Amino acid sequence: MRRNTILIEIFIALLALAFVFPIILIFVTSFKPDAEIIHFESILPQQWTLDNFREILASPVEIPIFRWFFNSLLISTSCTFVVLTVTSMAAYALARLNLPGKKKFFAVIIATLMVPGQILLIPVYFTLDFIGWLDNPLALIVPAGSSAFGVFLLHQFFKGLPRELEEAAVIDGCSVFRIYWHIILPLSKPALATLGIFTFIGSWNSFMAPLVFMDSVDKYTLPVGIALFQSSYSSEYGLTIAASLICTLPVIIAFLFFQKHIIKGISLSGLKS
Amino acid sequence: MKQSFIHKLANFSFMIPYLTLFFVFLIGPLIFGLGLSFFRWEMLSPAPPKFIGLGNYQEALIDPYARKALWATARYVVMAVPVKISIALLLAVLINTLTDSHQNFYRAAFFMPAMITISVGGILWRWFYNNEFGLFNTYLSKFFGIKIPWITDPDWAMKSIVFMTMWWSIGGAVIILMAGLKQIPKRYYEAASIDGASEFEQFINITLPLLKPILLLVVVLNIIGAFQVFGQTFMITRGGPEYSTRVMVHYIYDTAFHYYRMGYGSAMSWILFIIIAIFSTLQFRLSRGKKQNA
Amino acid sequence: MKRSIIAKIIGAIIIVLVAIIIIQKWTHNEFSGRTTIRFWNGFTGPDGRTMIQLVKRFNADNPDYHVLMQRMDWSTYYNKLFIAGMGDRAPHVFIIHTDALERFVGADFVRPLDDLTSSVNGVDVNDIDTNVWEATERDGKHYGLPLDIHLLGMFYNRDLFIEAGIVDDQGNPVPPTNQEEFLEAAKKLTKDIDGDGRNDQWGYVFTNFIQNVYTVMNQYGGTFFANDYTESTINNQANIDALQFCVDLINKYKVAPTPEDIDSWIGFLQGKVGMVFAGIFMLSDLSRQQNLDFGAAPIPLLGTQDAVWAGSHNLCLRSNLSDDELEGSWRFIKFLSENSLDWAEGGQVPIRKSLRNTDRFRNMTAQSEFGKQIPYAIYMPPVGFGTEFAREYNFAIERALRGRTTPKDALDMADKNIEKVIKHYLENYKKYR
Repeated sequence: MRRNTILIEIFIALLALAFVFPIILIFVTSFKPDAEIIHFESILPQQWTLDNFREILASPVEIPIFRWFFNSLLISTSCTFVVLTVTSMAAYALARLNLPGKKKFFAVIIATLMVPGQILLIPVYFTLDFIGWLDNPLALIVPAGSSAFGVFLLHQFFKGLPRELEEAAVIDGCSVFRIYWHIILPLSKPALATLGIFTFIGSWNSFMAPLVFMDSVDKYTLPVGIALFQSSYSSEYGLTIAASLICTLPVIIAFLFFQKHIIKGISLSGLKS
Repeated sequence: MKQSFIHKLANFSFMIPYLTLFFVFLIGPLIFGLGLSFFRWEMLSPAPPKFIGLGNYQEALIDPYARKALWATARYVVMAVPVKISIALLLAVLINTLTDSHQNFYRAAFFMPAMITISVGGILWRWFYNNEFGLFNTYLSKFFGIKIPWITDPDWAMKSIVFMTMWWSIGGAVIILMAGLKQIPKRYYEAASIDGASEFEQFINITLPLLKPILLLVVVLNIIGAFQVFGQTFMITRGGPEYSTRVMVHYIYDTAFHYYRMGYGSAMSWILFIIIAIFSTLQFRLSRGKKQNA
Repeated sequence: MKRSIIAKIIGAIIIVLVAIIIIQKWTHNEFSGRTTIRFWNGFTGPDGRTMIQLVKRFNADNPDYHVLMQRMDWSTYYNKLFIAGMGDRAPHVFIIHTDALERFVGADFVRPLDDLTSSVNGVDVNDIDTNVWEATERDGKHYGLPLDIHLLGMFYNRDLFIEAGIVDDQGNPVPPTNQEEFLEAAKKLTKDIDGDGRNDQWGYVFTNFIQNVYTVMNQYGGTFFANDYTESTINNQANIDALQFCVDLINKYKVAPTPEDIDSWIGFLQGKVGMVFAGIFMLSDLSRQQNLDFGAAPIPLLGTQDAVWAGSHNLCLRSNLSDDELEGSWRFIKFLSENSLDWAEGGQVPIRKSLRNTDRFRNMTAQSEFGKQIPYAIYMPPVGFGTEFAREYNFAIERALRGRTTPKDALDMADKNIEKVIKHYLENYKKYR
C-alpha cells in the first residue's frame, strides 16, 4: 500500500515534469542564438545571449509586442467587466424576480449553450460590419456579453441563495436594484470570481475573433500578434521564442498568484452544471 | 394592477442589456447565418447575392475538400476525446490518492499549459515536431536512430495535433474530474475495503457510477470543443500536409475569408452546428435514459 | 482572503489603465499636422526590416507626410486587404503580387496609375522590363508600379560541391547548367554519411512545391490554360512529363528525399543538401548563417526551353484617394521605386534597368546571377481565382511527390477541379465585369 503510493507519486511527478518542461524550454531557448536552435545540440544554451530580447526591445514599431500585450489586457479586462455586469443582471432577474415567461426564456438561453461561437463567425462579422465595429476593440468586448454560459452559471448560484434576506429587504422598502447591488452581488462573490476568471482567460487566449475582426496590426491581441512571427519565409527562431516568452511569462506569474482561485473556479463550474 | 405593471417593467429592465446583446450577437446572427446559407454570395463579386435554396448544402455534400475537412474533424474527435478523457480520469484518480498539498501542486502543474495561448503553444510544438532540429527527432535519432515525420506526413499529422492537444488542454478535465471525486463520500470506499474489494473493483463499482454525471458533462463539453478545433491545426500544420489536418472550422474560415464565399461558408457552419447538436442531445438523452433505468 | 483578491484585481486594473494611457501618449505624438499614408505589405521577415528603414528615410525627408507601415504574413495580408477594401478601410498604398492583381482589379479597388507615371512627377516606364510592366496591364490600363522581380534561382552549397569534386581546374565549384549535369551533380552529392543504409545528405530537395514544379513544367513547355483562361490544360503531356521527372528525382534517381523526410529549407541551412531552387528573397535568411558557404546560379535547363518562376511586388493605390493623400502616396511610391537598390540589398532584384546597370547591383552576386533570368521569367497565371488554382496545383504536386498517385492521375484530378473552379468563377465574377 505504502509502496504503491510512492510509485504513484513518482509516476505523477515525472508526468507533471513533462507537462511543465515545454514551458521551461521556452525560457531557456529564448537565450539561445539562432544557430544553436537550428543546430540543436543541447537543451541549455552553450552560449547565453540577450540578443533576441535586445532586438525586440530595440524595435517597438516593427515588433509592437508591448502594444499587443496592453491590447490584450485592456480587452480581457473590459470583456470580464461587461460579462459580469450584463449576465449577473439577467441571471438575477431570471432567478429571483417575478417575470412572465421567464422559464421559457431561460430554456431558450440554455439551448443556445450548444451553439458553438465559431459557427457565428460569418454572421457576427457582418453584424459588426453593419454597426461599424470592425477593426475596433469593441468588437472583441461587447459581443462577449451575450454569453449564455454566464447567465446559466450565475442563475444556478443565485437560486441557491436564501430567500429570507430578500424578503426582509422588501419589507424595508428596498428597490430591486438595491437588493441586487447590496445583497445579491456581495453574496455571490465566489460565483462572480469564477465567471470573471473564466471570461478573462477565455478572452486572453481567444484567437479566431481577433484574427478575423481586427485589420490593423497595432490593434491585434497577443495571440494573433505572436502568430505573425510564423512567417513562411524566415527562420528567426530566436526572436520568435523570445517573443513567446514575453507573452507567456506574465500569464504564468498571474497563474501562480491566482492558481487557487482559478482551479476552484473550474471545479465549481464543473459541479454546478 | 398599475403598480405591478411598473414592478414588472422594473424587473424586466434587468434583462434589457442582456437581451439586447443576446439578440444582436447570438440569435440575430444565428438566423442571419441560416438565411445566408441559402444564398450564393461571393463577397468580391459585383453580383448581388442570389437565392439558391439548398444549393450550398448540396455542394457541401459533393465538395471533396468539405469531405476531407469533415473526415479530418471526425478523426480528431475520435482520437482526441476518448484519449483525453481516459488519461484525465486516470490522472485524477491517481492524484486523488496523494496528500492534499501535493494534490494542489500537481493539479496546477497539469493545468499550467492551458494558460499558454495557442499561438505560443503552436510555435513551440512546431519546433518540437520539426524534422531537422526538432526536440523529438533530435533525441529519437540520437538514441534510437529513427525519425518520425510528425507533421510532414499526412498519416502522422493529425496524431501529432492530438498529442499536442493532450499537453495543452488535459488540465481542465483533470481538475473537474478531481472535484467530482472529492464529492464521493469516503465511507463508501471504507465499506468496500472491509468487504475485501480490490482497488480496481472499487474504481469500477463505486467511482465510475458515482462520477458518471460529471464524467458525462466532461465528455459532452469535450466533444463540442473537439468539433470546433482550429487553433492547433492553424498554427502547427496550417491544415496540411495534403489538407489532412484542415478541420471543419478551418475550412469554414478559409471558405469565408480566403475564397470569399460567404453563403457556402454559412451553410457549412450550419452543417457543423447540426452535427454538434445531434451529438450533444444524444449524449444527454443517453444519460437521462440511464438515470431512469437506475 | 476575499478582500485581498479584490484588491489585487483592482490594483491590476489600475496599473493596466495607467500603462495604456502612457502607451497611447507614447504612440500618438509627433505625427500631428502631417497627412498619414497607410502602407501595408507582407514583408514579415528580414526584408520587412529593409522596408522599415526606407519608410523611416521617407518620413525624415518629407515633413508633410507620415507613412505608417503595417506588415502581416502574406496569406493573412491578402485576406485583410480584401476585407478592409470591401469595408472602405483599405490602406492608401499596398503591395500586390503580379499574379494576384486580377482579383483586386476585378473587385474594383485599385487605381490605374497611367496618369501618374506619365505626369511631370512621373516614372520612366521604359526603364522597366517590358514583360514585367505589361503584366500589370488590364484593359489598357496599368494598375501597379513594379518594385522588384523575385525570381527562383539555384542556391548551392559550395563546401559540399568541393567535397564531391564538382569543381573546375582551379578547384572552384561548378554549378550545373543542364539536366545531365544536374543529375550527375545531384548523384555525387547524395550520400549516406553515417552508413546506416539511409541517405543523410541529398543532392537536391523540393522547397516550395509550386515554385519548383512550375519552373520545371514551363521548361518542359507545359501550359496551364487555354482560351483566355476559360479552360484548364494542366494535365497536358508536357506537364505530366515534367512532374514525372520531379517524382523520378525522388524514386528513380534517388537524389531527393520525399517531402515528409525533411524540412527542406532548414536542411539546406544545416548543410545537408547540395542544391535547392529557392526565391531570391531567401537570401537574407541564408546570409545570416555563419557556417554556410553558398553560391547562387541560374536554374539549370532541365527541360527543353528556358523558363523560371518569378513574382513581382507591385506598388498599388486605393481607388478613392483625396488629392492630398494621392500626392503623398505617389511621392512615396516614386521614392521606393527610385531607391529599390536598397530594397534589393535585402534579397530582391530591382525592376529598373538603370539600377541594375550599376556596379552596386553587379556586386550583389546572388541578385545579379538570378537577375540574368529575367528575359524568360514566368509569372503564375494571371487568373482571378489564383488562390483556388494554387490550392489544386499544390495538392496535385504534393500527392505525386509523396507517391500517393501517378503524376497523370494527380494532374487529371487537378484538371477536373480547376474546370469546376473556372466554371464557378465565370458564373459569379466574369460576366459581371
